[in-house]
Amino acid sequence: MTSHDVTLEWPDGRTRTIAVREEETVLEGAERADVALPFGCRTGACGTCTGRLLGSEGSEPTATAIETGRLDVGDAFSYRRRPRALKDRHREVGYVLLCVAMPRTDCRLAVGSSVHTELVDNPWK
Amino acid sequence: MSDASTGGEVESDHDHDHHRLEGPGYATPQAAIEEGGREKLAYVMSLYVGTDVDAPDFVAVVDLDPDSETYCEIVDRVELPNRGDELHHFGWNACSSSCHVEGLERRHLIVPGQRSSRIHVIDAADRRNPELETVIEPEEVYEYDLSAPHTVHCIPEGEILISMLGDADGDLPGGFLELNDDFEIEGRWEPPGEIEMNYDYWYQPRQNVMVSSEWAAPKTYYPGFDLDDVEAGNYGQRLHFWDWEDGTVEQTIDLGEEGLIPLEVRFLHTPESTHGFVGAALSSNVFHFWRDEESGEYRAEKVIDFESREHDDWDMPVPALPTDILISMDDRYLFGSNWLHGEVWMYDISDPSNPRRADSLSVGGTFGEVQEVQGRELNAGPQMIQLSLDGERLYWTTSLFSSWDDQFYPEEGEQGSVMLKADVDPRNGTMTLDEDFLVDWGECPAGPARAHEIRWPDGDCTSDVWQ
Repeated sequence: MTSHDVTLEWPDGRTRTIAVREEETVLEGAERADVALPFGCRTGACGTCTGRLLGSEGSEPTATAIETGRLDVGDAFSYRRRPRALKDRHREVGYVLLCVAMPRTDCRLAVGSSVHTELVDNPWK
Repeated sequence: MSDASTGGEVESDHDHDHHRLEGPGYATPQAAIEEGGREKLAYVMSLYVGTDVDAPDFVAVVDLDPDSETYCEIVDRVELPNRGDELHHFGWNACSSSCHVEGLERRHLIVPGQRSSRIHVIDAADRRNPELETVIEPEEVYEYDLSAPHTVHCIPEGEILISMLGDADGDLPGGFLELNDDFEIEGRWEPPGEIEMNYDYWYQPRQNVMVSSEWAAPKTYYPGFDLDDVEAGNYGQRLHFWDWEDGTVEQTIDLGEEGLIPLEVRFLHTPESTHGFVGAALSSNVFHFWRDEESGEYRAEKVIDFESREHDDWDMPVPALPTDILISMDDRYLFGSNWLHGEVWMYDISDPSNPRRADSLSVGGTFGEVQEVQGRELNAGPQMIQLSLDGERLYWTTSLFSSWDDQFYPEEGEQGSVMLKADVDPRNGTMTLDEDFLVDWGECPAGPARAHEIRWPDGDCTSDVWQ
């Protein structure tokens, strides 16, 4: 059974590498490894499980990619359902819905509840 | 299990005279005021969704009895089986609208997960120690091409109706899901296609009318509030008036840009009335609606307008964001909360076309004069409100919706919510903050939690309807 090493990185510096199978989502793989990640709808509609791609095997990010935040999520994941909670501007800078994203390569992800709060700002402040 | 066959098992939290009634609740709104007694417990939606706390959301049972040793404490927690639900609004299997139905009891709480689309049924026969009884899993709900359950009301005779904000993909259209008195899905209540957006609803059975309001598609509001979505027309601004018997929309009123995001919608309690109010949260207005007797059609008119306020730390004027309203049981006052400004208010609605500001409290939020109670930082404005049946005590919690809290009050997720109380003098139209009252969700064993909707065990101003 093919699996990929997915390294989860929390803002406090904690990291954990889990093996996620080709046909399971990162969230399911994390649950199998008894790692708690935030989630809500589990269908790709709500964004609570949002992670951010930091790098993936075979396409270690160039300095420009890191600077602009443009990593190709499409090379690293296959989506089980369309990620409706993300807008184009989110997908373009590496945000991934972990409840529906199945890895296609080894990769590193920023995880934890602070990631989904980056999707929107206070528009008036 | 049907509550129609279990007569007499519920330990009521009050001792009102049931002799003239065969079913649950009270004969009239005034009977609720007289017989309801003081609220001694509250059920409060409590949540961890969207935080790093590895625990499911729960229903908090809060002690509101000033003579109790555990006054202002969470005395019981009904933990749900799964994480990630986002408990939000909830309701009873039966209310005063079924007071003529022999043997039916107000006994089961229907507690939906807003994000998970999972529906929990909690047996509250023991008012202090409710227990989870049944779970309707999301997959069963999606079979009806619905998701994102919100408002729960009972239908007289024992059925339950839930407003659903999206289809199975979290897109539009939403609709209504009906449960039978055995808490099984009966099906869609309305013929599909009657509405696109959905949110809250209220019914007035004697007038054969139901009114529903509009938030947005779940995929739009779930991740947070994005002004681009307002500009794209992805947020609601309409009210729908339904034929309650037929389940069909008879009339839709577009409230326009002054009526953006109409949320909580309430008819007056007296079953004779066709008057009601809705808070347009984003436009920071309140609309009065009523049936014009000449044309037989409903009309809506803006009657309260909260001005945005300048703040040094904000680039743009801060909107008030009135996110919850309720009508006192005697139909005399409209209460509400301005979540962003940090204010609770009461308006005299004895002339519903001309609400008159009676009093307000400046507490929490961006501008509140009171920013801590008993040394506890409030970290957010007043949000979900609930009023005692006698109209003398107003309570509120401070969380709106996990992702929107994170946007406007990021400290709330780290510190948890609070529940506060004001003493109300309905004769003189005044409110006073009770600084001896504080319930702190920051102290919960698994970690700080948010707190949302509040209900009393024996009916309240936002759940009881009369035939």
